[in-house]
Formats: sequence, C-alpha cells, structure tokens
Amino acid sequence: MSAASVHSSLVRNLLGAMTFIGAAGSAGVYFSVGRERFWVNWLVWTLFLLTLGLGNLFLVALERLVGAHWSVPMRRVPERIASLIPLAIVLLLVAFFGVPVIFPWTYPAAAHNPILVAKTPWLNLPFFAIRLAVCATVWMLFYRFYVRGSLRQDVSKDPVFTVRARRLAPLFMVVFFFSVTILAFDWISGLEPEWYSDMLGVYLFAGTFISGIAAMLVGVLALRRGGRLPEVQAKHVYNLGTLGLAFTVFFAYIGFAQYLLIWYANLPEEVIWFKHRIEGAWQPVALLLPLLNFFIPFFLLIGGLGKKHPATLRIAAFSILLGHFVDLYWLIFPVLGPVPLFGWPELAMACFFLGLGWLQIRRAMGRGADMPVGDPLLVKGLEWQL
Amino acid sequence: MSSGTFAVLGLYSEAEKIVDAANQIRPHKLGRLEAYTPYPVHGLDRAIGLEPSRLGRLVMLMGVMGAGLALLFEWWVSAVDYPLVTSGKPLFSWQAFVPVMFEVTVLFATFTAGMAMLFALNKLPFFGHPVLHSKAIKDITRDKLALSIEATSAAFDVEAAHQALIDSGAESVEIVPVPTWDRPLSLVGLLRTIAAIVAACVVAGAGLYAAEKLMPIVPPMIHMEDQPKLNAFRESSFFPDGRGMRPAVAGTVARGHLPPAFATPEEAGTLLSNPLPLIQAIAERGRKVFGDHCAICHGTVGNGVPLLSRAYGGKPGNFLSNEIRARPDGHYFGVLMLGKNAMPSYAADLDNDDRWAAVHYIRILQRAQNAKDEDLP
Repeated sequence: MSAASVHSSLVRNLLGAMTFIGAAGSAGVYFSVGRERFWVNWLVWTLFLLTLGLGNLFLVALERLVGAHWSVPMRRVPERIASLIPLAIVLLLVAFFGVPVIFPWTYPAAAHNPILVAKTPWLNLPFFAIRLAVCATVWMLFYRFYVRGSLRQDVSKDPVFTVRARRLAPLFMVVFFFSVTILAFDWISGLEPEWYSDMLGVYLFAGTFISGIAAMLVGVLALRRGGRLPEVQAKHVYNLGTLGLAFTVFFAYIGFAQYLLIWYANLPEEVIWFKHRIEGAWQPVALLLPLLNFFIPFFLLIGGLGKKHPATLRIAAFSILLGHFVDLYWLIFPVLGPVPLFGWPELAMACFFLGLGWLQIRRAMGRGADMPVGDPLLVKGLEWQL
Repeated sequence: MSSGTFAVLGLYSEAEKIVDAANQIRPHKLGRLEAYTPYPVHGLDRAIGLEPSRLGRLVMLMGVMGAGLALLFEWWVSAVDYPLVTSGKPLFSWQAFVPVMFEVTVLFATFTAGMAMLFALNKLPFFGHPVLHSKAIKDITRDKLALSIEATSAAFDVEAAHQALIDSGAESVEIVPVPTWDRPLSLVGLLRTIAAIVAACVVAGAGLYAAEKLMPIVPPMIHMEDQPKLNAFRESSFFPDGRGMRPAVAGTVARGHLPPAFATPEEAGTLLSNPLPLIQAIAERGRKVFGDHCAICHGTVGNGVPLLSRAYGGKPGNFLSNEIRARPDGHYFGVLMLGKNAMPSYAADLDNDDRWAAVHYIRILQRAQNAKDEDLP
C-alpha cells in the first residue's frame, strides 16, 4: 500500500466515523431533544447539500449554454460536486416525514385559519408530494444527462454529446429556475405559510449560485494543491474568482432588494417575517449574512491580486460557504423561537450531513479522469487566454 | 531626436509573429513599443511591455468615495437640513439610502473609468495620429498587424530600429515621419468649437422656448395648472350649480366640537362632569390652554386680576372666590362654550378636550391657592 492510499483510507475512515457519530447524535436529537429541532436541522442541511449540488449542476449547464471554453478543464469538479444531488434528494424524501411536524399548514388548526384555507389549493400534502417528485425527477434526469454523459465521453470521445449538452442547456435553465423557486416556496416559505415573498425563489437561486461557485473554487484549489490538475493554470482559477466576485454582488443585490421592498411597504404580514429575523437575538446572525456573503468575498476578490492567490480565494470561498449555511439557518431556524439555537444537536447533525456529503464527493472523485479528456473543447479551454 | 521620425513601423500578417517579434525587440530598449492590430491579440499587451492599468485602483477609490458622499449627502438632506418624517420611518433610514448610494457609486466609478481612461491615461484629445498618415494604415485596418518602435529620446536610432524589425520577421518596414503640423489644437479651432457649442445652445434654447410659447398644447398633454380637479372658489362643470366648493353635509360635526346640549352654564353644571382623568399630561395641556386664553383676563393664578392694563375696566371672575369655587365643573365648561357677561364664547377656539383640561387646571389653581396643612406631602 502506498503512502497516499494509506492516507486516503485513513481520511475515509475518519469521515465514516464522523458520519457515524453524527448519525448517533442525530438519533439522540430525535428521541431526546425534540422532533421539531431534528427536522429543522435536517431541512437546513439537506437544503445545504442540495443547493451545493444544484449550484454546481447549474455551473456545468451554464458553461454549455454560453459555450465557455475557459471552464472546461475544471468542469470535472462541479460535475463531481453535483453528485450531492442524488444524496440530497434521498434526504429530502426522508424530510417528507418531517412535513407534518414543522409545517404549520399541515396542522389541524390550519383549517380554522382563513389565510391558510385560501392557500390550500397549493399547500396540500398530495400536491406538495407531486411537486417534490417532479422536481426530484427533473434534477435526477439532468444530473444523469450531464454528469454521466460527460464521464462516458471520456472514453468514447464522441463530440455529439457536447452538441447535445449545449442544445439541452436552455431547457435546463428554465426547469432549474422553476424548480428552485418551488423548492424555496415549499420548503422555506412553507414554514411560515402566512408570509410570502416572490423574491425568495430568486434569493435561494442567488445563494445556490454563489455557494456553487465557492464549492467549485474550493474543489479546484484542493485538486491543484494535490497536483491533480497540473494543466489548469492560475488564469483559469482567476476567471472563476471573477465569476464569484460578480455573483456575490448579485446575491447582495437580490437579498437587499427583498429586504428593501418589504421594509418600505411595511405591510404587517410581510414585515413580521423580517422582524423575527433581524431583531433581538437574531440580529447578530442577520448581520453575519452580508458580511460573509458579500463584504468579505467582495473585498478579497475585487483586486487582481486577490484572485491570483489561492489563500485569498480559499478564504473568500469558505466565507461564502459558511455564509450559505448561515443563510439557510437564518431562513429556517427562526421558526423554533426568538433565540438562535446552536448546541450539540446542531453540531451532531452537522457532522452527520457534512460527513455524508464529503463521502459522496469522495466517491465521485474516483469516477473518470480529473479533466473531461473526451471533450473536444478541452484543448481550447487549456489554450484560453485571460 | 533623429530629425522628423515619429516611429518605425513593421507589418506582420500573423498574431503569433507579432507577439514573438515584440518579445524579441523589447529587451533592446530601442524606443517605446506600440502595436496596431485590427483585432485583439492575446498576450500582446505584455509583449510590448504594457504595465497593468492603474485604472482599477482609481475606479475603486472613486466608487467608495461616491458611496460615502451619497450617504453623507442623504444623511444631511434627510436628517439635518430638512428633516421630514416619511411613512413613519426614522429620519436616518439607511435602507432607503442604499439604492442612491449604489447609483452614485456606479456613476462615480463609470465616469472615472471613462474619463480617466480617455483623458488621463490615454491623453486625449488627440486630433490625428501620425500612424493614420502612414502607407501601412490601410493594411492595418484590414488584415495586417503592425508593431511600431516610437522615438522617445534623442538617442533614437532609426537604422537599428529598422534592422530590428526586419530581423524579427516583419514583412515590410516603414518610417513614419513626425507630422508636419505643429499645433493640432489651434486657438482658432478652439474658438470655433466654443462658438459652435454656444450656437447649438442658443438654437436649442430658442427652439424649446418657441415650442413652449407658440405651439399649442394638445391633449393628452396639458398644462400643469389645468389639472382636472376641484379648486376652492373656482367654478366647476362637475356639479349642477357650477361651483367647485361644496357645503358640508347637514349635521356634520367637526372632530372635538360636539355641539352643546345645554342652554345656560347652570344647566351645563347639572348635566356634565369632567370626562378627562387628572393626570400630568392633561394638567400640562390645561396649563397651556389657560395660559393662552384665560390668563390674559383672569390672571396667571386665576385671581381675576387681569394682565391687561387697568384701563380695560372689566371685572373678570375671580376663580379663587368662594362663590366661583363652589360651582360644578360643568358650569365652567358651559361658560367656556357660551360666554358670560363680557367674556366671549370659546366654542370655536378650543375643542372639548381643551376646555375640560382647562377646567382641571383651574381646579389645580384653586387648590394651590387654598392649600391646607393636610396637602403638605
């Protein structure tokens, strides 16, 4: 056994142990702390993994759509991170058991609430399940199409797949925006069904997009440091950093736009959602959001130097990833009460889900070459000049 | 400077060749390298030794300044100079300021980028470049790429530059002379430009004035003063009687001015009692009403000694007298509504709450002026 494979199996065992301890802790949460807290944690982490996966699938499709060359040498990274999608879909299906526990529109009392009664055509369990099934199917189909197809192309070198992938990309975009909007409305707004914001779908999409870029950056930097992407040069990573910079601004813009409109209109049924999230004990969490998702990555990446140094890129990427978790936590956890809960139950469930996700990505790392060697655009991508 | 030479120009037909040539010539430091290409060539900027632009830092600086100035200005306008509460929000509502800050940031940043690029870094205006008068310019604008070595010092060696370009693989080499005109921007030209701008302003202004004054305003355009709305004391075709102003509906009662249900103060005394609680805020209001309306005749302590000149001659009531003290609250209210002797009615000047607050205050004065030992704390 070589030193590298010993190291690799050690990491795998450690990750397995972390996941196992996390699973035991999660069971403890379910039976001793409370089912609400368990399912809310479950939802946050499932959405975290799902949005990372979807964000990276989106990056893959975006590259196909616009016909970008520069990202082709790095495309195997988002394709591998997209393997979180099947895992997260399973977790989301499990979360369906938690729907009657944490979603107020399923409670018997909802029948006496005129607002919720008016919303029953949308908020009822059969339709909810249908939407979940449709979204999951669509995600799986596109995941299999893009990721499996790209892996097959490694061997077959068939340029036809590149053409078909580009043709299907516009369809993916439409389906993707609808499905992410449904995801946001069903699984996040649904927790406080009297509240609504058209913007939340776009908001979740923006978070998905920047956290996808951040995860891809972390992956590319890690592979480059491990010497596994020798032909990917600093200019490729530089461009990825530029994309990240642009979309931190997009996220800040969307997030602030939602807040500004609700703040301005000052309608009680809308404002209450923000009041629960930006006042009192939640205020520090709310302040973390622009800091982690905008100010830190923006000022790290705005200059040319920041996008050339792996260290600054890594800090920016981790800031966004942490910011994305804080974002989901801030969106979902306030249903548990006016004080942010963070203790051993959260840590245990974090261990479980992060371990699971990491193991899944490691499994995907084994599949195919580190670069899409069958893609006819790869040469152009390697020769691409900033 | 070798007399009359602006630069030596070499022509190439492939992008790779011009990059290689520039890389080959640059170390010799013959003069400033410049390239003219019909399309962008990757790597050429570095090959001719172009430094990374300073524009980015400048734009960042001005952008941050724009954001700061916008915030400062909005704060000063909204919270200091003209504080105006809008829909119950705080005067300093940073949320409302952000869009303006954003716009001003973009404005400052883009203007800086454009202006600094044009005027500071590229040194425009620049009427006519010597290379435009070279024989090669037709090829450059079509399919050839040109590398030029510009004469930057007296030590510029035309022969060496010529040879260097040929050695680097240039297909043809041309010596571009310094243009024969010496001042591209003449005083006459400048004056003509200014005159043209002034003339354009005059024509545009006169045209707008004529359009406003002479041309009819056709619906849907209307003059602002002709809005379809009712104005006070104006006629209106909307109502049959042709008047814009309408009388109040019969039986309308203004807020706080419920008409009296009594004919005399004595009757009021038997019918009414003070509905307001005796609390600090009410007493303060009563003090204000009393000071504004009552004290001028009844005196600041209510003893009937007027502040006005003795020449006034009237005999205002003394609230401290036993006779008046004995009257019920409603009586005071009735007098305020109906007036008494020389005192006019205050029905229109005060509202009901003002009157009852004043009654409370009068009671306070009476007690203060007739204090007993038990009243000491």
